[in-house]
Amino acid sequence: MTALLRYQAALLARSQRWLAPVILYAVFLGVGVQSGQPVLDSLAYAAAVLLPVAAWLVRICAGSEPPAARACTAAAAGPARAHLAALLTAFLAAVALGVTAVLVVTAVSDAASTNARLSVPRLPAGAAGLLAMLVSALLGTAVGALTSRPLLRSAGKAVPAMLLGALLLLVTTGSPAKSVLTDLTTGSRDGTVPVPWGAVLAALAVAVAAFWSACALSSRRG
Amino acid sequence: MLRLSGVGRRYGLRGPWVLRGVDLGIRAGALIRVQGGNGTGKSTLLRLLAGVDAPSEGRLTQRPRTAFVPERFPAALPFTAVGYLTHLARVHGLARGAAGRSAERWLERFGAGGHARTPLSELSKGGSQKVAVAQALLADPELLVLDEAWTGLDVPARAELDRAVAERTAAGGSVVFVDHDPRRLADVADETYAVVGGGLERRTEPPGPEGAGPRGPVVVIVAQGPPGAALPAPVAAVAVGVGAGGAAGATRLTVPESRSDLVLRELLTARVPWHVVRVEEPGAVPSPTSAPAAEEGTSR
Repeated sequence: MTALLRYQAALLARSQRWLAPVILYAVFLGVGVQSGQPVLDSLAYAAAVLLPVAAWLVRICAGSEPPAARACTAAAAGPARAHLAALLTAFLAAVALGVTAVLVVTAVSDAASTNARLSVPRLPAGAAGLLAMLVSALLGTAVGALTSRPLLRSAGKAVPAMLLGALLLLVTTGSPAKSVLTDLTTGSRDGTVPVPWGAVLAALAVAVAAFWSACALSSRRG
Repeated sequence: MLRLSGVGRRYGLRGPWVLRGVDLGIRAGALIRVQGGNGTGKSTLLRLLAGVDAPSEGRLTQRPRTAFVPERFPAALPFTAVGYLTHLARVHGLARGAAGRSAERWLERFGAGGHARTPLSELSKGGSQKVAVAQALLADPELLVLDEAWTGLDVPARAELDRAVAERTAAGGSVVFVDHDPRRLADVADETYAVVGGGLERRTEPPGPEGAGPRGPVVVIVAQGPPGAALPAPVAAVAVGVGAGGAAGATRLTVPESRSDLVLRELLTARVPWHVVRVEEPGAVPSPTSAPAAEEGTSR
C-alpha cells in the first residue's frame, strides 16, 4: 500500500492538476476570511469550502492514470487496492490543505465570539477547526468516490452530481458536515468551543462505506 | 496456480455475455497461447486472467503474483521512463534499491537504456511499448499476461521479449499471450486455446505426464560440471534430453533451440560455473513433430 500511495501521490503532484482546486480554495479563503473576524466563524467557512474541494481532488486522483496504465497497476496490486490508494491520496491531500487552512485562519482571526464580547481561546478553537476539516475531508472524498470512476464515468453526469452532493451535505439537516458547521457558528455566538467527535465518527462511517463501494466496483465496471 | 471455474463476463447488468463457462487451469511453467478473431473476447479473457476485471459469474482461485501488458500503452503519465518503472517495481513489491536497479536493467535489455530519463509523453510508440513490457517483467511475476505485447516493438526487442518469456517459464512462471502472428513462440507454446462464440476451446492436446516433447528444432549442448554437481534447476526444467557426454564426466543436454541461450547463461553463471565443451548445430536431432504451427490450430 505504501508503494501505491507513493505512486499516486507522485502522479498527483507531478500532473499539476491539483493546482486548480488548490487555487480555487485559496481564492475562496482570501475572499471569505479577513483578519480580525471571529475565529470559529472563519473556521466554519473554511471547512465548508473544503468539502467540494476534497471531492474534486478525488475526481483528479481517480482519473490520473490512463486506462492502460491503470490496468498495469491493477494487475500488480489488485484493482480494489489500486483504487483505494487513489482515494486515500486525495483524502490525504484534502487533509493537508485543511490543516494549512486551519493554521492560517486561526492565526489571522480574532480570538473572540461573534459579538466580540467573549474571548475564544485560539488553541481549542484551532482543534475544533481541525475536527471540522476532518469531517469535510471525509465527506468530500466520500462524495468524490461515489461520483467518479468506476461509479459514474461520464463527466457530464459526474460533475453536476458531485457538486449537488457536496451542496446537499453542507445544507441538509442530519448531515455530519451541516452539524459541525452549526456547532461552530453557534459556538462562535455563545463563546464556547465545540468538540464535534460525533460528527467525525459519522463522517468516517460514511467515507468507509463510500470507499468500500467504489473499490468493490473497480474491477467490475472497468 | 490460477484456476478459472465457470467464469463468465458481461458488461452491464443486462449486457450480452462476452465469455461464458470458461474452465481453465494454468500450470506453473506453462506457456499458453490464446487465439480467436477480432472482437471474440480474447482481450476480455486476458483482463480476467490478469485480475484487472472481475468475472460476472464463476470464480478465479489461487491468484499468483501477476503482471499484465495491455494492448496499447499510450502513457500520458508525468514520469520519466525509469521513474515510472521504479514506481511500478515498488508496487510489484521490490525494495527501493532493487526497484531502481530492475527498472534500469529492463530498459537496457529492451534497448531503451538511452531513453531512461526521457519523459514518457515524449517516447515514440515503440518506446512506450518497451516501457509497458518492462513494467510487467520488473519483479519476475509468477503469471505474465501479454495482450499483443510484441506489436510496436522493433526486431531486437521482440527477440528479447521471446527470451524473457522463455526465462519466465523456465523459472516456473506461467505466461499467457495473444498475438496476431501465428508463428509467435509457436515451437515452444505448451497449450493453445481459441475463444469461439464466448467459450474457450482447447486446440492442442495436454502435455503428457513427463512433459511436452521437443516440438521444434533442438540444440545439443555438451557441458562439464563440477564433480557431483546437479544441473541448475532452470536447465533441468527446459532440457528435453539429458545423457552422458563423450568426455569423462561431461553431460549431453538436448534443449529447444529457443531456450538454448537461457541454458548457456544458466550453466555459465551457476554458483560453481559449468564448462561448455561444445554446442551442436540446431536440427542435429530430428524433432518428432515439426508441423507448421499455423496448421496446428485447425487440424486437431
